[in-house]
Order: sequence, then C-alpha cells, then structure tokens
Amino acid sequence: MNTNPTIKHESKNRIRVDFERTPLLERLKAKFINGAFLVNVIWFLFRFLLLLGVSYVILYPFYAKIAGSFMSPQDFVDVTVRLIPKYPTLDQYKAIIADNGYFQALFNTFTLAGSCAVIQTFICSLIGYGLAKFKFKGNGIVFLLVIFTMLIPHSTLQYALFMEFRYFDIFGIVELIRGEGINLLNSYWPLLIMSLTGLGFKNGLYVFLLRQFYKGIPDELEESAYLDGSGTFRTFVQIILPLSIPMLITVFMFSFSWQWTDNFYTELFFIADSGPKLMPEIVKVPRSLDVNFAGGTLYSSAIQNTCGLMIILPLIVIYLFAQRYIMEGIERSGITG
Amino acid sequence: MTDTKTMKTAAPKKKRRRVSLDSKKTGAGWLFVLPFVIGFVCIYLPVIINSLRYSFSEIRNVAGSGFETTFVGWDNYSYALMENPDYVEKLLESLQTIAFQIPAIVIFSLFIAIILNQKMIGRAAFRAIFFIPVIMSTGLIDEIAQNSSMQQYMDPTGMIQTGTEAGEEAAKEAEAGNQIVSAFEVAKLFENMAVGTSLVKYVVEMVNNIFDIVNRSGVQMLIFLAGLQSVSPAIYEPCSIDGASPWETLWKITLPMVSPMILVNAVYTVIDSFTAQDNVVMTFIKDCYEGKNGITSGKERSSAMAWIYFMIVAVVIGLVALILKKFVFYQRKE
Repeated sequence: MNTNPTIKHESKNRIRVDFERTPLLERLKAKFINGAFLVNVIWFLFRFLLLLGVSYVILYPFYAKIAGSFMSPQDFVDVTVRLIPKYPTLDQYKAIIADNGYFQALFNTFTLAGSCAVIQTFICSLIGYGLAKFKFKGNGIVFLLVIFTMLIPHSTLQYALFMEFRYFDIFGIVELIRGEGINLLNSYWPLLIMSLTGLGFKNGLYVFLLRQFYKGIPDELEESAYLDGSGTFRTFVQIILPLSIPMLITVFMFSFSWQWTDNFYTELFFIADSGPKLMPEIVKVPRSLDVNFAGGTLYSSAIQNTCGLMIILPLIVIYLFAQRYIMEGIERSGITG
Repeated sequence: MTDTKTMKTAAPKKKRRRVSLDSKKTGAGWLFVLPFVIGFVCIYLPVIINSLRYSFSEIRNVAGSGFETTFVGWDNYSYALMENPDYVEKLLESLQTIAFQIPAIVIFSLFIAIILNQKMIGRAAFRAIFFIPVIMSTGLIDEIAQNSSMQQYMDPTGMIQTGTEAGEEAAKEAEAGNQIVSAFEVAKLFENMAVGTSLVKYVVEMVNNIFDIVNRSGVQMLIFLAGLQSVSPAIYEPCSIDGASPWETLWKITLPMVSPMILVNAVYTVIDSFTAQDNVVMTFIKDCYEGKNGITSGKERSSAMAWIYFMIVAVVIGLVALILKKFVFYQRKE
C-alpha cells in the first residue's frame, strides 16, 4: 500500500489526490468471493425458490380451475389440450348464471353473510373487550366457555341445533302461548341469532383474537377517558373501536368469507329448493349443458369448479382490498400465549 | 352559557349512591359479555344437553306432534364402537393423520412465518398469496375440490369409457399436485446421513401432502407472524453485536420467544384438523346424519359418534397442551 498519496492537481480551494487504489477486479473479488456473501446468495436463492414453489402450489389449482372454466366440450376430448383451452367459450359461465340462478344466490348470500359478519364483528369485539379489560368474577369461566364453543366439533351439535331452531323456544315461553315452538328453518334467523350471541361459525377464534388485541392496548387510554367523564360503553365505541379498525377488518373478512363459503350451517338450516337460494345450491351441472360425451366426467367436474370460482369471485375482490389490513391487524395484535 | 346552565340543574340531582370505579367496571364487564352469556345459557346449553340426550335415546317421528324420544341408555354408543364396522377404523385413521400432520403444519408455518418476516423483494406479494387459502379453501370450495378429485379417483369406469388418453390425462392431472417427489429420490438425498427409513417415509409423505399442509397452515402462519412481530428488536440487537450468527439467534431467541405461540398453534391445529369438514370422521358422521353412502343409521347415532369424537379431541388437546407446556418459555412472569 502506498502510504503517501501523490498530489495530482492543486488549486486555491481544491486538491486532487491520487491514491494508489486496489484494482477493481481485486476489490470485486474481495467483496463477492467470500463465505458470508456466498451464504447470503444461497440463502436468498433458497428462500426465493421455496416461496415461489409454495406460491405455485397455492396458485396452480386456481389456474387449473380458471383454465377449465373457459374450456368447451371439445377441449375435454382433445388430448393435446392441457392447461390452455383451444376453443375458449363462456358457455359454462352463461349456463350457470342462467340455469342455476347465480345472481339470486349471490344477492341472498351477500345479505346473509354481510349481516352475519357485521353482527359477529361487533359482538365478538364486545365480548373480547369485556374479557380483556374488566376483572369481574367469572371472567375466567366465560373465557373458558368461549374456548369450549370453539372446541366442540360442530357435527356434535348438528341434530340438536336443527331441533333447536325447528322448534325455537326460550325456556318454554313460546310453547305456553302457541303450543309449539316457532319454526325458524329456511330463514336467516338461526344464523342471525347465533351471530348475535357470539356462537356463530368460529366465533371463539374471533373472540380470542380480539381479546389478545385489546389486552395489548394500554389501560391509560381508557382511564383518561373515564376521568373526562366518559362511560364505559362510550369509551369503547369512541376510543377503542377506532383504534382497532385493522383488527376489526380482519375479523370481518374472516367471518364474511367463512360464512360466504359455509355449507355446514346453510345446509343444516336451509332445506334445499324450498328456502331462499344460497350459494351451496348453485353447485350443480346446469340443465342446458350436456355432459354425456366422452370427456363428460372431466367436463362436469370442470363445471363444478367453475361454480366454485364464481362463488369465490366476490371474495377475491374483497380480499384484494382487505389483505393489507389483515396483515396490519394481525401484526398489531401482538398475540402472546 | 349552556354549560353552566346544565351544571346548575344537574347539581341538586347528585344524590345518588356512590359506586366505586371498580365495582362499576365489574358491572360493565358483565354487560360486555352479556350477549355471549345469554346465548350460551339460552341456546348453547340446551343444544348441548339435547345433543347428549339424543345420543342416549331413540328418536321417532310422530305425525302431528313432531318427534318422540325414548331413552335407550348406552345403545348408540355401543353401536358406534362395537357394531358399526367403519367408525373405529375411521377414528384411528383420523388420529394417525393428525399425529403426522400437527408437527408438519406447525414447523412449516413457523418456517414460512420466519421467512415472510424478513425483509426481501416481493414480500407483500408473497404474503398476499400465502393467505389466499385462509379465505378461499374452506367449506364449500373444499367440498367441491374434494368431490371433483374424488370423481377422478373413484370413477375409473368413466375413464375407461373416455378412452385411455383422457383417462391418462385425468390421472396425471390428479397426480400433479400429489406426486412431487418419490421416496426413492428422498432416500438418495438422505443416503449419507444416518437417518432411519421411517423419517424418510415421513418426509416423503409430508412433501407429497404439501398442498394440504399449505392450505391448512394459513391461520397458524398469521399467528406466528404476529408473534414474531411482537418480539422486541432490542433483544436481537445486542445478540448481533455479540457476534451471534442468525442460526444461533433463531434457536436461542426466536424459538423461545415464540414458544407460547407454538403451544397456541399446536392446539389450534388439533382443533382445526379435527373439526375440518374434510376430516374422515367428520364426513363419516355427516353421512351417518344424512343416511348417505349406504350407512344405515340415524341422527341419534351420529350424535353418539360425535360425542365420542369430542371426548377424544379433548383428550388429544389436553395431551398436546401438557407436553408442549414443558417447553414454553414466558418472558413475563406473572
């Protein structure tokens, strides 16, 4: 190394000094050919490939379904057709919309899932807040009960739930008046009642998530609100709820989409072909499509997949909007055991 | 002006009993959880009791007045456990798959969560993709997927009819997601390491089930990500200054810090896979409830089966929680 640099050019207020620098090639060598860099590159590649691979695993079925949904019957006979339809048509979509009553089901399901999700989000946040911030006797027991509702497989209660809402009654009061419970089947009431009481599908999970979230909010916020004379409920609505919007959107998203694609409760409470038309009912081969040909089995399963695609289409739109909030909500929740 | 006025009118009214903030808060707490308590007492409890009652009785439809139940004791239970040829088998099968899948799902979701937590190109896109299954592969969509793949598997006659080419194509398509690696390849990979064949078999099985595992680990990933985010960077910093490698940091800091989440996730995975609709026992109970697929038994029998199932779920969850509790590290000792 040259210790005394040579002066190349000197003016009144500038000086240019020429160091004897290490040649570029050697500098590059030193930078790039060493253990740490190699490890970094390998890790980067490994990570990228892994994520890409898993993304492929997730996205491939969607792609296959989408491709299948545009295929015409000829494509299922043609051997050379794999994932790109040769004779693309919209027949499947048209038939499903026309014969299966897609828009009617869409509207009904939207009303049902929307109202359930709004109610569930609000009720679960109430329960979660109550469990997180108030130390009352029985707090632990109520929390355990919430977990218990999450634990019970819903098929355990299948028949009893059906009976409960077939002859709906509270402590025999209705029976005294009318002689028989009210039949709530084929209406939105069973699901609305369950949402209102925080017993809906996976509500235990939402209560749990929200409880953990509210536990992370410092108590000082509410204390100062109380000092200013705000009541507990008002504090909750005006201070706590606005704070927890990402988390609320997350829960709303979960409950909306799980209710949207739910087939357990809808099939239990809505008797097919007699109640309002909901999503599970449109999953069938439309009348106008002929599946009695060589590739018929594949064709009918492709049609079913198209039904599935049309069912989740609105969800994808909502997901694209909400996924940012999901991450934010979950990241801020700071769940600890 | 108006303020002072209201204060004047409000002042003489102030004669109410003093309630301390704590007891006020206690009441408010009950008020907040009231919807759930009412629902639990008025709807859930009767449902549970009825379900238990049905599982001990025989139900007959009576014209006019609905239904009639007669107490038959442990009949339905003994039917499920002794007489029904498939139930116990399905139970064991389900237990086995779950025992295999819990570690795979927990490890996989933790691994992906750690990776997704690092800064890199396209992180937002990857995150968006990874949580698609949480929203999309549930309930109805799951059922459709199951039906269509089942059609392909279980309808070989249809394939023969369609000619070998189409059949082959269908088989290939069905296999595309399943056969990613063969045992032979993995065995070659592990040849020089001293691991047993059982581990090789396990890894192969898991890799071939990757689709299933990815689909099921969405919520767990979210929970792990939340946990990782809540680990303070102030812990990592001195570590890197002291010269710890990322590998050591992972084992000495990240894992202990997220260990409560591992417990939560393991329990959640057990619940989720036991109560998932495509679980063999769940489908079996459902078929039994509807009298489908040639199972000739009634709704009360499906209730009994479901209660046996619930007991087993509870025991498994207790075991998992007990085992994992020994390894959980809590930063805050309360």
